Amino acid sequence: MAIVAIDNVRKVYRRDTQDIVVLDGLSLEVPEGEFVALMGPSGSGKTTLLNLIAGIDRPTSGRVVVAGTDLSALSEGELASWRSRNIGFIFQFYNLIAVLTALENVELPLLLTNLTKSERRERAQTALRIVGLADRARHYPRELSGGQEQRVAIARAIVTDPAVLVADEPTGDLDARSAEEILNLMGTLNDAFRKTIVMVTHDPRAAVRAHTEHHLDKGVLSRIVDRHERQQEARPLVPNV
Amino acid sequence: MKYLPYVLRHLLRNRVRTLSTLFGMALCIFLICTLRTVLGAMDASLRSARPDRLVARHAVSVVFPLPDAYRSRIAAIPGIKRVSESIWFGGLPGSGSSQDFANFFANFAVEPEPYFAMYPEYAVSPDQWVAFLADRRGAIIGKDLADKFGWSLGSTFQLTSFIPTYQTGRPFEFVVRGIFHPDPVRYPGTNEMQMLFRFDYFAEATQRRAGVGMFYLQVDDPARAAEVSKLVDDGFENSDVQTKTESEAVYRQSFTALAGNLVLLLNAIGLAVAFTVLLVTANTMSMAVRERRTEIAVLKTIGFSSGRVMALILIESAVLAACAGGLGVGLASVLVSNINRIPGGGAVGQFGGALQLSGGLAAGMLGFTVLLGCAAGMVPALGAYKARIVDTLRAA
Repeated sequence: MAIVAIDNVRKVYRRDTQDIVVLDGLSLEVPEGEFVALMGPSGSGKTTLLNLIAGIDRPTSGRVVVAGTDLSALSEGELASWRSRNIGFIFQFYNLIAVLTALENVELPLLLTNLTKSERRERAQTALRIVGLADRARHYPRELSGGQEQRVAIARAIVTDPAVLVADEPTGDLDARSAEEILNLMGTLNDAFRKTIVMVTHDPRAAVRAHTEHHLDKGVLSRIVDRHERQQEARPLVPNV
Repeated sequence: MKYLPYVLRHLLRNRVRTLSTLFGMALCIFLICTLRTVLGAMDASLRSARPDRLVARHAVSVVFPLPDAYRSRIAAIPGIKRVSESIWFGGLPGSGSSQDFANFFANFAVEPEPYFAMYPEYAVSPDQWVAFLADRRGAIIGKDLADKFGWSLGSTFQLTSFIPTYQTGRPFEFVVRGIFHPDPVRYPGTNEMQMLFRFDYFAEATQRRAGVGMFYLQVDDPARAAEVSKLVDDGFENSDVQTKTESEAVYRQSFTALAGNLVLLLNAIGLAVAFTVLLVTANTMSMAVRERRTEIAVLKTIGFSSGRVMALILIESAVLAACAGGLGVGLASVLVSNINRIPGGGAVGQFGGALQLSGGLAAGMLGFTVLLGCAAGMVPALGAYKARIVDTLRAA
């Protein structure tokens, strides 16, 4: 069953007097438990597509259904509440809050729940344990390496146990070794915790960790490569399939 | 409450900026509180004035004396119930070059019987009253004055006037024979930092060459006060020394008028200060929020609604303002309560009644500060409310 269903989505930005079509009638389905990589050149629309899936942007036309909810039917407030329950967002530059410790950063999304302080702390500790940073709970972001910061950001993304993890170039700011650790962690979240992951990346080494690669070009899907076909030549995409 | 640690962490993010804003605001609030307290004391002093009490003084200025002989002529005017001679002595502790202006307090020579009958707020117990009447050097002092100098019944002290006419070559010696402490509800605004002593002692020591500073009058019928005032002044219209007779409230107002339009000035300063507080806080909050644009986008991404983000910024601004307000009110309270102990501070109380930072003013100022904080945080908070996640992340 598809946990993400994009149906004939069009996204147009207006810059001065010019309309810029970023996504042009794109359709896509992501089954539950899938690890999907969105690839393509700059300006192909992959980050815009990711933002639509995460519910932080709205399409100009078409439908975006994630975890059984048609996002276009939600108000801004409802959408924020929906995000807090269903989406874990991993940024390229981690975007941790500098004045909060690792534990407090991870706890932040739980402030929107009705959990008690001790329950929040316990869950945040658990998330930090999953990403292997339980011993760094009291450390501030400035006291962590880039890879550790990204792991804290991943802990923040999973602490509410969301249905979908979306990651915008999660290894784009990391050295090769740290990137490898992050990709291993994301693989574990997908394999062991059955998290659906949608990841934007430019890095082919990151993309091969995904079950499926969706290549975008000029706002449309140009080809899909799954793990079985990865060794073979990519097959051409039938429009609107 | 669960957001409070988050808010406090942000306030401490740039400690220098936060603390300088906090102290700046606190200073402003302190200034407003102190000014309002002085104005309040003046108001209380005017409110304590009674309509049946008049003051007759020299028509040109209160600094010129009236002849002793006017007493009997004034007392004979129909409608006058009581007359008391009085003079503002200007006595200071010490003598000569060692006179202590820093410990200045008001001291008046008065005629005991009529004066204290006119001013029941200065009444003392019957035994103290008897002792006062029995001792020419006797003085009745306010409780605040007694507390300041540690005087009690029987304490002796010396004063020398800084006005040359009232100087006799040696200090005046006084004995505390009574301490007044009126009911603040019944007699609000009574100045307890003053001393009253016997006019006959003063007149005798100065050999009656000083004249009379002013005559305190009590009329039979307050409704006829204006008519009686006119009768008094008309009676001396063709004399060398003409009088100006006015109600007690108008007389007191004339003292504050000596300092110009003080009320308007103090209110204008208060308004300017409040506006400054608004600008200072608004600037701080704008800078703080501008630095956190990405963070605001992250909060919204993880599920904080725009309204909640806006509320967090308003709370941050309000907490900063409340801390500053508390500090400012606290400082003002400490200063006002100890004004009489501060060198020169006693002179402030001469404007009128006792200085006291009221609970109402303190609570009002705290509320006002929090409101100012919210107003100052409104523009950056609205900016955060309207910020679109995608645009903000892209700009970062």
